[in-house]
Amino acid sequence: MKKFFSDKKKARGFKEFLYITPFLVLVLVFSYYPLYGWVYAFFDYRPPFPLTKETFVGLKWFQTMVGNEVRIKQLLMVLRNTFAMSGINLLFSWFPMIFAVFLNEIKCTPFKKVVQTVTTLPNFISWVLVYSIAYSVFNSTGVVNSIGMSLGLIEEPVMFLQSPDHIWFKMWLWNTWKNAGWAAIMYIAAISGIDEELIEAAKVDGASRMQTIWYITIPSILPTYFVLVMLNLANFLSNGMEQFYVFQNAFNKESIQVLDLYVYNLAMGNGGYSLSTAISIFKSIVSVVLLCATNKASKLIRGEGFI
Amino acid sequence: MKSKKLLALICATAMTAGLLAGCGSSPAAGSDSGDSASAQGSASTEASAGQEEGNAEGDSSNQGGTASDKEAMTLEVFDVAANYQGVQSGWFGKVVKDRFNIELNILAPQVAGDALYQTRSQTGNLGDILILEPAQFQDCVKVGMVKDIGGEIWNSENLSGYRTQIESLNNGLEGNNGEIYGIPCEMLNTSPTDLTAETIYSSPLLRWDLYKEMGMPDIEDLDGLLDTLEQMQKAHPTNEAGDPAYALSLWPDWDGGDNMLGIANVVQITTWYGEKIKESLILQPDNTFIPLTDKSGAYYKMLKFLNDAYLRGLVDPDSFDQTWSDAQAKISNGQVYLMWYNWSCGFWNSQARLEDGTAFRFVPVKDQTYYADADSYYGTGRVWAVGSQVDDAKYERIMEFLDWYASPEGLMFQHDGIEDFTYVKQDDGTLKRINDTALMDNLPVPEEWGGGGYNDGNNQLNQWIGAASNMNPLTGEPYNGTMWKSYKEATMTEMKEEWTERFGAENDVEYMKNNKVLLASPNVSVALPANTPDIDTTRNLCNTEVCDASWRMIKAKDDAEFDQMWDEMTKTLDGLGFQELMASDTAKFTIELEAKLEAAKAE
Repeated sequence: MKKFFSDKKKARGFKEFLYITPFLVLVLVFSYYPLYGWVYAFFDYRPPFPLTKETFVGLKWFQTMVGNEVRIKQLLMVLRNTFAMSGINLLFSWFPMIFAVFLNEIKCTPFKKVVQTVTTLPNFISWVLVYSIAYSVFNSTGVVNSIGMSLGLIEEPVMFLQSPDHIWFKMWLWNTWKNAGWAAIMYIAAISGIDEELIEAAKVDGASRMQTIWYITIPSILPTYFVLVMLNLANFLSNGMEQFYVFQNAFNKESIQVLDLYVYNLAMGNGGYSLSTAISIFKSIVSVVLLCATNKASKLIRGEGFI
Repeated sequence: MKSKKLLALICATAMTAGLLAGCGSSPAAGSDSGDSASAQGSASTEASAGQEEGNAEGDSSNQGGTASDKEAMTLEVFDVAANYQGVQSGWFGKVVKDRFNIELNILAPQVAGDALYQTRSQTGNLGDILILEPAQFQDCVKVGMVKDIGGEIWNSENLSGYRTQIESLNNGLEGNNGEIYGIPCEMLNTSPTDLTAETIYSSPLLRWDLYKEMGMPDIEDLDGLLDTLEQMQKAHPTNEAGDPAYALSLWPDWDGGDNMLGIANVVQITTWYGEKIKESLILQPDNTFIPLTDKSGAYYKMLKFLNDAYLRGLVDPDSFDQTWSDAQAKISNGQVYLMWYNWSCGFWNSQARLEDGTAFRFVPVKDQTYYADADSYYGTGRVWAVGSQVDDAKYERIMEFLDWYASPEGLMFQHDGIEDFTYVKQDDGTLKRINDTALMDNLPVPEEWGGGGYNDGNNQLNQWIGAASNMNPLTGEPYNGTMWKSYKEATMTEMKEEWTERFGAENDVEYMKNNKVLLASPNVSVALPANTPDIDTTRNLCNTEVCDASWRMIKAKDDAEFDQMWDEMTKTLDGLGFQELMASDTAKFTIELEAKLEAAKAE
């Protein structure tokens, strides 16, 4: 031991290792330790009984998951919804960027600040409250229906929240309403980092406003955009459950139930802990496959992977 | 430079230590810190308790020693029935505190979510006093989380009054050798086949003034009921304030609770045709089981009824995504013309409305036979128990508390409220209700009872050992205030007289008995086997499917679409394992059915 510390290089290495220990512990505790919970997928688990040898069932729950046509159909439906919701979000991920660019073009500072504050605020409202706002605005006696009826635009109340039509698009709209302002902050920061000289030079050369945006602002913030898209890709299967949990009902569930929500509904409903653990393992596997595929694609296209 | 490095090192060590300290807490350490925290809490309240001692002694004179003799204690109550989480406060909290120097800290899975049961039971300590669902109770006994109270319980004066019922529950437990683990909830010392109540849990209830306005028609069947409701809605499309009113307002947020399969609103009203839903099965009047998905069964019939109502425009369009509290607000606002729970009348029928005839009342439909549960002699199914990890001192206090909880004095606080505030003693010893809107309007409680709102301070355990229909030995009348002579006299209104004249009976149950349209199902005490995890999972999947499909079916455009959706649902259910679920449920509920038949024969 003494020898170890007398070797200066090694001692220094050890000290520097100590610096990162807190973060290693964090990762171990919050990312690796929870993996222990996966054991529940291999047992017939029912609280309060502890896991014992007798309740070990191997891969039974994984077989149940794909046991017959109906179950496979449900699983595919859930996957479809997950991909659709994440896909739509990805497809429109440029929206906050454009929003930030246009916001930046507003010359009247007080107005700009107001717009920014108003669009950022919804981010701090929980989904439960968003739903109660939605409910009071859109229910049969809500503002929209009352105005529509009194103006004679509609004969009877339109049940916006119950109808399953265009539900993915509606969910995207709610999500955008809640998140766009917040997501734009990153881009606004990136825009303020653009060298003023570039823009001034362009103006001297006679560039129009649209031209400065198109040739200077957007190219300068594109790297930020790509980093954010990459980060989003990693979360492709985890589009959260809160939003869909509060908006779900019997009519839209077939199109709104995403993986996270499915797992929650199954486990918290009534003792489907083992099956829902099995499904979340399945989710992790699909995630790893997706990650490897994207990495491979990135290697092919850009010549370098990101892991 | 060096000092900077040193600082970094210290920071790193501190962070690591902090992290480890954050996660290192064994269950024992956790409960210790909990105890010390609660001890602190009660120490700080001790002073105030001492101040109130003057009143306390007066109130609890018949309880032996006063609260000040004993050390303050907080009991954790794991309570599946509670709708409130936290320490019992207000007047009921004060009553318990004054008598026992105990505070009740209620843990409510209905508030905190079912995960509360799972996580707490994993640590082996659910709480000090437990109020559990029957299946949970059996499981907890098996794992050893419930204390054997066999020694002390028979020394308790009031609890031992329910000896037959308590022994019956515990002897039914698998492998029991005379230990006593649980006390049934809401026991009633009449008989398991009697029906003392005057109304039954679910029957069609209509606004009396509107029914009169329609000319008090004979209602032959469900179509007739819809005709009447349609007329009512046409005549009164809004309530007095001008808000739209509908014949029916439904709410989906109760679905799947209480071991039901299917949507709560339909499951309840199947009892109008004498059929009782037992998870995936329907128990028919002839004591046979048919699957829930059988088209001749009442689930189909009642769902179709709602669909017909929807097509006639009688269903509140918000029904599909509102919560019970929204629906309840509509009931209280007079925006609903049909109700089906006897207790939901409480949100509309005030004494004033009984007098002016606008209250809700049972109106029979000719082709219906009503299913009702007989008196809960053996209890309602839920169970009181004591946690296995309580120490002797605590145990003694718990038993003392539970015995009081089952005593006439305790029951009067639970069912009747506060003397001279919600009731007064009359000269002949019977009681008379006063301030009968105390609960509804949350009236302020007198200072000597701790002040605060009456409803806020009401007993939040929301579960009783003795039912409200029990006879109160102190008054010679039941605890239930609506069964007192004084109340009946006060509410002998014109409306009641009209009802009696129209239907030739004093009350609902009498009408049903006279016309032989009442199926009273005997109360039995059987321990039903717990479901396996497979069946639990299947049940959950099937329930979701039935509920979702049912709501869609209520909105079906016509009979053809309705039937097509029904068939689709049946097919999906089979794929989810409905047949296995039915087999398991049949085995389970046959045990209960046989016990019921036995009890009926014994009568």
